[in-house]
Amino acid sequence: MGKYRGWLIVILVLLMAATWVILRTPARLGLDLRGGAQLTLQVQATDKVPQITPQVLAAVQGVVQRRIDGLGVAEAVVQTAGEDKLLVQLPGVTDPQQAERILKGTAQLLFAAQKPGTEAQLQIERQLQSQLLLEQAQLLAEQAKNADNPEALKEIEAKLAKNRESLEKSQQAIASLFEPSDLTGAMLREAFASPIAPGSPNWSVIVRFDSQGAELFAQLTKEIAGTGRSLGIFLDNRLISAPTVSVEYAQTGIVGGSAEISGGFNAQSANDLAIQLQGGALPVPLEVVENRTVGASLGQDSIRDSLYAGLAGLGLVLIFMVAYYRLPGLIADIALILYAIFTYAAFLLFGVTLTLPGIAGFILSIGMAVDANVLIFERTREELRAGKTLYRAVESGFDRAFASILDSNVTTLIACAALFALGTGFVRGFAVTLAIGIGISMFTALTCSRTFLFYAISIPSLRKPNWFCPKLESVR
Amino acid sequence: MSFSVNRRRSLWWGVSLAVILSGLAAMAFSWASLGSPLRLGLDFIGGTRLQLELACSATGTCSQPIDIDAVRQILNEQGLGNSSLQVVDQYGLSIRTTPLNVDRRTRLTDALTQRIGNFDPQKTQIETVGPTLGEEILRSGLLALLVSFVGITVYLTLRFQFDYACFALVALVHDVLVTTGVFAILGLVAGVEIDSLFIVALLTIIGFSVNDTVVIYDRVRETLKLNPDLDIKEVVDQAVVQTLGRSINTTLTTLLPLMTIFIFGGDTLRYFALALIIGFTTGAYSSIFIASTLLAWWRDRQPPRPAANTLETTPTP
Repeated sequence: MGKYRGWLIVILVLLMAATWVILRTPARLGLDLRGGAQLTLQVQATDKVPQITPQVLAAVQGVVQRRIDGLGVAEAVVQTAGEDKLLVQLPGVTDPQQAERILKGTAQLLFAAQKPGTEAQLQIERQLQSQLLLEQAQLLAEQAKNADNPEALKEIEAKLAKNRESLEKSQQAIASLFEPSDLTGAMLREAFASPIAPGSPNWSVIVRFDSQGAELFAQLTKEIAGTGRSLGIFLDNRLISAPTVSVEYAQTGIVGGSAEISGGFNAQSANDLAIQLQGGALPVPLEVVENRTVGASLGQDSIRDSLYAGLAGLGLVLIFMVAYYRLPGLIADIALILYAIFTYAAFLLFGVTLTLPGIAGFILSIGMAVDANVLIFERTREELRAGKTLYRAVESGFDRAFASILDSNVTTLIACAALFALGTGFVRGFAVTLAIGIGISMFTALTCSRTFLFYAISIPSLRKPNWFCPKLESVR
Repeated sequence: MSFSVNRRRSLWWGVSLAVILSGLAAMAFSWASLGSPLRLGLDFIGGTRLQLELACSATGTCSQPIDIDAVRQILNEQGLGNSSLQVVDQYGLSIRTTPLNVDRRTRLTDALTQRIGNFDPQKTQIETVGPTLGEEILRSGLLALLVSFVGITVYLTLRFQFDYACFALVALVHDVLVTTGVFAILGLVAGVEIDSLFIVALLTIIGFSVNDTVVIYDRVRETLKLNPDLDIKEVVDQAVVQTLGRSINTTLTTLLPLMTIFIFGGDTLRYFALALIIGFTTGAYSSIFIASTLLAWWRDRQPPRPAANTLETTPTP
């Protein structure tokens, strides 16, 4: 039985690997289980931006990301969804009204000239701001680390709130050092990143204005050229860039409506600024079209409920199989437990986010996973009744049932594919968990139980047809 | 052969027809009174649902349960008089309104906090779906249903033959109709609403229920290959009987975890589990009694192939 010993080793190795994965990887829980707010934003088309292209969506995503970062929520996620939607996930937020407010408005991009005599002050304020931002990042990291320590969390959250307040003050202080102009994002035609020379590691951001913008831009740059004062670019009242204008433009300002912001950019940072500028140039309003917020303890209740349901369901199936199918049932039970372990490990490995419907799909798939074994064992019984020897009966049970098993799994996969392709959000989660389950059940129900079963009948004391098919009259 | 599905096929067809027709009648009635064949939930028509629980309920220090009239009055004052309102376990509140934007929602929760009491943020649930998004969810759900019907028919045509695929499809439509019919009735008598999970349930039902049909057809095909001259009714009867144990056991092992979800799984999953329980049970029934007898009836009506020997067939009583 060397063939089966080989498979046994493979299964054992897989089991150890799966256990290792389960012990090492924390589960990624959806917001419906860990608590938090999920907002879907729809980007509204306007006369100026009649169509939401992927570029438009990416630019708006940049704006939204920036606004969310300002909220100071740990592990906040902004994703695009479909053609014109953005998905914002705010773990731990139980009242997302602040987020909804700041997300709703159109981005405001403003250009402003620095007031005379504020150079030193600006430098101090900017330094303070970058310190505060650094502090915020550290606090957020700490918050994520101490997720299960409520006392430490409270302290960190208090610090975060203080930090947020200081940041706001610092922003206001910076804004007060600038004189706003009439030049706004609406007049910005494009902004893109480009290397200073082909192949150069130094990058710059090119901006182009429309004709009205070009005039205002020339005026603005003329005013500050050569003075050492800077041109403040504000997105949503926050200074995102403050370039200076060199003395050669002191006579006319930068004319022609096109300019290059350079100095210390690499490809990444130049691109970031370009996206922010683009986002600020987009007069597209956002609307919160969906809001699903779940309190953390409701999520914990759901986890507990589904754990009970899952264990009870698994237990009942295990009992049923052994009661009805005897020895093969016991073997199917082992395969089923392996199935549950492998599938859970696969979820962790592929980074599947577990949601409530996803867990329901998983529990459901436990019941479906034994289908293949039921088919095989029923077939084996038939063959035994038809007078075949035990070994031949088991063998043809597996062979003959294979076509049915394949067909039935493919049809379920078709339904999964339709769900995945056309569904959104949690519907997709359900489809993915069900599909992974089907794939793994093919392996456990065919390979694992086959190996165990043939291994079992290689042991003479287990070779009793009655243990395979009760009420079989003649024992061969 | 002790058991023949074909012998009493008019009974099976009649039972199915009766169930489907009463479901359709419920849908028609519901269309007339609610404007849609099923009672559509928040996901599809849009709206806001707020679930709140008083903070004092966790410590057991609440002095008095929530006064539903006081809440009703607040809703009336804010122009939300026609919202549905429910007090859950004395200290919990469930409010369902038209879609509220952030300002109106905050105004409502502020008024509730002021006049009813502080709510536990950890037990708060807010759901808002805009009306256009709801339509989109419904449309993509129905499209997914259609696509999987077509996909399954194409696959079965490739693996079997076109007439097999057609009757498998009839069985699937049967299962979907029965399940939606039951939910139309539940919507009328118990106010049960359908949400996105219901569409997921329907898709899972077709994915699963076609399995049973495939297994029986698989056996029909196998038997026909071995004995091409056998009467189709006999072949189908045999196939059904031979796979009966499997059909019942598989449905049972799938129903067991669904029952536990129904009992333990919490509110969100309860009706999802119920839809699947109804669908899977119907799926087993339709595979055993409908898909099989339809195939036999259809093949029986076809003129015998020239190559096949026409043997004496036993007429159905």
